[in-house]
Amino acid sequence: MSLEGLKSLLSSAGAGVVGFGDISAVVSDEISHLDRAVCIGLDRNLNRNTIDVLGSLQKKAAAWLKEKGYRYLCIPPDSDRVKGKFVSNLYPLLCHKTAATCSGLGWIGKNGLVINPVFGPRISWATVLTDAPLPPDEPIESEQCGLCSLCVSHCPSGALTGNSWSVKTPFVELIDLEKCRSHKKASRTVEGKPNCGLCINICPYGRKKFHQEELVHEKT
Amino acid sequence: MVSEEKKNELLAALKEGVIQYDEDLVKQKAQEVLDCGMDANTAIFSGLVSGMEEVGRLFEAQEYFVPELLMCADALYAGLDILKPHVSPLDLGVKGSVVIGTVEGDVHDIGKNIVKMMFDVAGFTVYDLGKDVPLDKFVDEQLRTDSDLVCLSAMMTTTMVGMQKVISNLKAKNPNVIIMIGGAPVSHDIAEKWGADGYAKDASNALSDAIRMISSLKKLKEKADANKK
Repeated sequence: MSLEGLKSLLSSAGAGVVGFGDISAVVSDEISHLDRAVCIGLDRNLNRNTIDVLGSLQKKAAAWLKEKGYRYLCIPPDSDRVKGKFVSNLYPLLCHKTAATCSGLGWIGKNGLVINPVFGPRISWATVLTDAPLPPDEPIESEQCGLCSLCVSHCPSGALTGNSWSVKTPFVELIDLEKCRSHKKASRTVEGKPNCGLCINICPYGRKKFHQEELVHEKT
Repeated sequence: MVSEEKKNELLAALKEGVIQYDEDLVKQKAQEVLDCGMDANTAIFSGLVSGMEEVGRLFEAQEYFVPELLMCADALYAGLDILKPHVSPLDLGVKGSVVIGTVEGDVHDIGKNIVKMMFDVAGFTVYDLGKDVPLDKFVDEQLRTDSDLVCLSAMMTTTMVGMQKVISNLKAKNPNVIIMIGGAPVSHDIAEKWGADGYAKDASNALSDAIRMISSLKKLKEKADANKK
């Protein structure tokens, strides 16, 4: 089976989106031999099931690569990181957002999250790094939100700066993290949970009542 | 009583599981070891540790890189977590108690954690102070726990100099304490000059030194077993 076969394997096992990214330019030196990312995204239901499915997809990808004699390193979903494992020291070396944009699965929106054309920001990610020469997808290098700035105007803490992301301007501030954090802290004291997520809910991409198919159609 | 054949099969599977960084396999086989009443010590030393010895060799030969090394270590720990509660204390004639940590200003603790793991496996009581440890804490902890081994780790030349102070303070308070130092900037000469008893050049050396240490412990254990018979 060719290396492309991994995509159909993961898709048929339930992955929402799968992409291969060339990360040779962004991966840190310690693991520079792992220059490809297998990026797996799943509709974000924020329940245990999403995380478990992502975990099993990731395991499938790892087993597939290992069987073919390639090296791999699994970066699990952010909400499923077991602390105190040796390998967890390596998780910060590459973030899912970078893997997703390199794999052409989305761009970073004004809310600082990966926006996928189909699912919008409502997507959870898992990444497998590998040295297998996977044919990379075309990366996305700048924001495609256009004039939309719903997330910026709806952010209750005014944390979003409204700036646009592009790989060419990596240090432009999208979010005032202090404001976002203090809002979550406040809502924890009031509601007992640090939940906010308005910048996810308001995004027109992937929003059910926006008829996502039409939107995607328009886009392409 | 478990048959010799089954025993060898489980030991081989544990070893292979560590080498192949297959956590699930290691967990499953470790459970089987307990279920069929096999000796947990044997499973750890002839199974898990044998696997890690091979991993150390693969790492030195650059067949394995850091991610593989860490995944193997995780697999070993997965098995250890299951087996350890059933281990009878090893009678090695050495008092197994060690204080370990990365010195003040330094947050690089992967090497330290691997060395710590080896002590764990060997049945030592490990007092892990973690990373960025204030220098006096090593001395206090050694006195508090009366450990006879202290391991210091540093990855940067700027933090390494703190070791010298710890060594002289420790030796002043307790001349019998054994001190091992490790980390990228440390050398044999430095260890000697500062009065440390042992040294490991980097993570891979610390690992192989630790493995060598475990191997000799293993021999001691085998000898002890032979004497018993």
